Amino acid sequence: MPLIFEYDEENTGYVQDEDVKIDLPQELVRKNLPLPNVNEISVIRHFINLSKQNYGVDNGFYPLGSCTMKYNLKINEDVAKFEEFKDIHPLSPEECIQGALQLMWELEQDLKEVTGMDAFSLQQSAGAQGELLGIMIAKAYFKERNENRRKIIIPDSAHGTNPASASMCKCGIVTIPSDVRGNMDINLFKQALDPEVALVMLTNPNTLGIFEEKILEISDLAHQNGSLMYCDGANMNAMLGVTRPRDQGFDMIHLNLHKTFSTPHGGGGPGAGPLGVKSVLEDYLPIPRVVKFDGKYKLDFSKRKSVGRVRAFYGNFGVLVRAYAYMKSWGSNIRKVSEHAVLNANYLLSLLKDTYELPYDRMCAHEFVLSAEKFGKGSALNIAKRLLDYGFHAPTIYFPLIVKEALMIEPTETESKETLEKFTDALQSIAKEIKGNPEMVAGAPYSMPVGRLDEVAAARRPNLRWVPVAK
Amino acid sequence: MQIRFTKEHEWVIVKEGIVIVGISDFAQKQLGDIVSIELPRVGDRFKQMQPVGIVDSIKTSSDIYSPLSGEVVEVNKDLIEHPEWINESPYDRGWIVKIKPSNLNELDTLMTKEEYDKFVGET
Amino acid sequence: MNYIPITDKDRRDMLKKIGVSSIDDLFVEFKPTLPRMLYLSKPMSELELLQHVRKLAQKNRVLKYFVGAGSYNHYIPAAINHLLMRGEFYTAYTPYQAETSQGTLQAIYEFQTFICLLTGMDVANASLYDGSSALAEAALMASSYTRRNKIFVKEGLHPQYLEVLKTYCQGANLEITSTLDDNTACVVAQNPNFYGNIEDLRALSEKAHSVGALFVVCVVEPTSLAILEPPSSFGADIVVGEGQSFGIPISFGGPYLGFMAVKDFLLKKIPGRLCGMTKDSKGRQGFVLTLQAREQHIRRERATSNITTNVALTALAATIYLSLMGRTGLTRIARLSYSRAHLLFEKLKGLGFQLLNDKPFYNEFLVKSPKPSETVGSALLQNGILGGLDLGNDELLLCCTEMNSLQDIEKFVSIVDGVKCR
Repeated sequence: MPLIFEYDEENTGYVQDEDVKIDLPQELVRKNLPLPNVNEISVIRHFINLSKQNYGVDNGFYPLGSCTMKYNLKINEDVAKFEEFKDIHPLSPEECIQGALQLMWELEQDLKEVTGMDAFSLQQSAGAQGELLGIMIAKAYFKERNENRRKIIIPDSAHGTNPASASMCKCGIVTIPSDVRGNMDINLFKQALDPEVALVMLTNPNTLGIFEEKILEISDLAHQNGSLMYCDGANMNAMLGVTRPRDQGFDMIHLNLHKTFSTPHGGGGPGAGPLGVKSVLEDYLPIPRVVKFDGKYKLDFSKRKSVGRVRAFYGNFGVLVRAYAYMKSWGSNIRKVSEHAVLNANYLLSLLKDTYELPYDRMCAHEFVLSAEKFGKGSALNIAKRLLDYGFHAPTIYFPLIVKEALMIEPTETESKETLEKFTDALQSIAKEIKGNPEMVAGAPYSMPVGRLDEVAAARRPNLRWVPVAK
Repeated sequence: MQIRFTKEHEWVIVKEGIVIVGISDFAQKQLGDIVSIELPRVGDRFKQMQPVGIVDSIKTSSDIYSPLSGEVVEVNKDLIEHPEWINESPYDRGWIVKIKPSNLNELDTLMTKEEYDKFVGET
Repeated sequence: MNYIPITDKDRRDMLKKIGVSSIDDLFVEFKPTLPRMLYLSKPMSELELLQHVRKLAQKNRVLKYFVGAGSYNHYIPAAINHLLMRGEFYTAYTPYQAETSQGTLQAIYEFQTFICLLTGMDVANASLYDGSSALAEAALMASSYTRRNKIFVKEGLHPQYLEVLKTYCQGANLEITSTLDDNTACVVAQNPNFYGNIEDLRALSEKAHSVGALFVVCVVEPTSLAILEPPSSFGADIVVGEGQSFGIPISFGGPYLGFMAVKDFLLKKIPGRLCGMTKDSKGRQGFVLTLQAREQHIRRERATSNITTNVALTALAATIYLSLMGRTGLTRIARLSYSRAHLLFEKLKGLGFQLLNDKPFYNEFLVKSPKPSETVGSALLQNGILGGLDLGNDELLLCCTEMNSLQDIEKFVSIVDGVKCR
């Protein structure tokens, strides 16, 4: 497919052409704008044809572990496009934005309910930014107490954003191995607790798809040590209406609205990463907060102990609208989401665990990790690529790092029993293919617009943009 | 003098008072195709076994540790354009840094070739 | 509404295969159980939800905007939404499996290219959250590259961007200072600045380089790049900014589009995703996420940044916008925005408004009102107009785009004319 820069056409023109004199010093004025002119019909065809080389949840099953690729409700798209949401300037006076503020306030209340937390900041653009904020808040909290705590404890199954966020805040990481049941090893955890530990950062259920059995004991130990407990809420889809992170002992949690709350992934965002905290930490949240006073909604800019802003304006409002619509449509039935997420995962696990290896023999939560190690080194990659030929998107591979040839599978609640069984058939067929014809599987995929790409060349001799040909 | 190895798979030889450092053939095989390297700067000082740089393959990223304490006097800048030399020629063209050592006695703490071969045989 | 395709019979069969008798058995390990029923509203059908949200939306009021300050009301061509709403684009995940994601990947490559062409820089990433966090990431990158921890910020930076920069710097133990010396990691300048000023930044750029600091240019209104010399021409090492002006609705502040472009020597330090062109074994051209070893999922605590989810869909919107506009269209947008702003100013000057910009301006300018600014503001508001950002002291920050018609400007001026002086 050609690049958009290879077109040279008459452009369509969307606004009027007026004769305008630009009165600026010559050295500041642009001499050449090397953008292509493309007519609308060519642009439409270009991007429609690109879309045909893509795969979304709308195309088929997308079992990426820890991504929660659930169906994105179309009604959410329609309400997000109401003129009164999309055409509102963020600096409008409060009397003109009561609807937006009310939506944010009500969403905050619902998120507080499902997590048990006392306050939420909706400003963060993604889970990673939620983590960053959480660590900054922990630092501020301990600074106020004159406690020098710079260490963060994470399990070895932690997502890479956890240590990366710690590093952005100049905190050190202590990694605790997982035990034979897939829990964080509580004895090694006890040994690691010292007066320098600020935060214990856990994903629950963890990235193995397993609920931390000793979570209450871990929280108690952490709190006795004077440390705070942070929940990476990426796996909240297993717990809605079932158990609350606050009751598990967490002091902070970030949620991923683009995972649990069905806002679309968009090919890599935008998302939103609200951060919920217990009241003792509320004053550290970014400003402004949305408050309700005397029947009206207001933006409260009073600084208190706020760590500051993490972005201009108020956050990814368009994403918040979609999450709000999702929460309101499920309402008090929200538990059904987690019930079926966990049901689907356990069912799929029961169908696959004899063909592949299950490293931790426990009931899973909303996702599970299998190992393809018995099929040889590199088999997880080959299985993933071969699945594309069967019309499925691959699961997450090689994560978490503690399982060799890992396949992390999360079906979500929006998939049917038939889809799960078709997926099982595909994986079982591939297992046979790997045994009988490993070279064929190693050469997959065959039915995509391209085969496996030369990633080494792409990294050694990066070509990251088109360059205009000198005339 | 003979080549020595660290537990983290760096090799070191001494030439006219300067030590030359790279990573072993075993290491480059483990890493796979190397695509990128982060080098230290001339003048940087390191203690023994402190990380001096990072070597990246497609799916992994590994620290390179200094076998001896000292000051960086030269880095192999060509590796930025040609990271594949570490794979193709880890002991020759793929050398990584040259260090002026502050204490050559530290060499005694490192493995000889026989000890290293046994070490990786067991790994 | 029920977005769960599992029937009662399915449930029974599945529980049987799993080997448990009820759904609750699946949750035995989930402790502690809920202390009480959750206080959530009654579930809603699609029709009820639509009515409910519409009522909420109607409590908002869409105004005629004469304000920018980081959020610019530009015209969005109809074609953009039709393309963005392709399920293959907006319901896709990050393109880690390249063979099935060539659509997203080629679009990212095109986005990266557009940003480089506009800014004159060598390499751009696939997007960051928004302009303010992109600026913060640039400061962290500059600090890591130079191994220094002071940041010099030229006056005129958007106040909220400065707040975000402070938050990130505090977290990373960096200091924002007013001295430029050999502890300075980078010098940050917004252009056009918060007040709309267009400045010649060459001297500042040279000063930064003379102390070994990097020069960071922040572009909050990037349609200006259609008529202004690109930052590469005056020595920028890093260009960051806000791409919302490129086909993204103002949307009460988000989601927006952060972009970052750098010179080649910073390639290995740039945060965020990068998409590269390469070939498969049959020689077919394709695209793939590359240099991933820089990112959090591989470098973990040694990554420059923790960013994972970025804003791929708004980046796609910008790519489509720039494709539709082209050089001719974007230039028109910029010239119209410039022209409308200058027309508004001329007319206000006739009413006694005083220009406070001491440099030429693009589409935003600061004026001192001869009449009380609160009164001016409320008179305009009564007529459905948001008359700029009131900075206090009767100073108004006004902005125009191609969306402000000549009639809009006439109406604005006549309302202001009708407001009594002190």
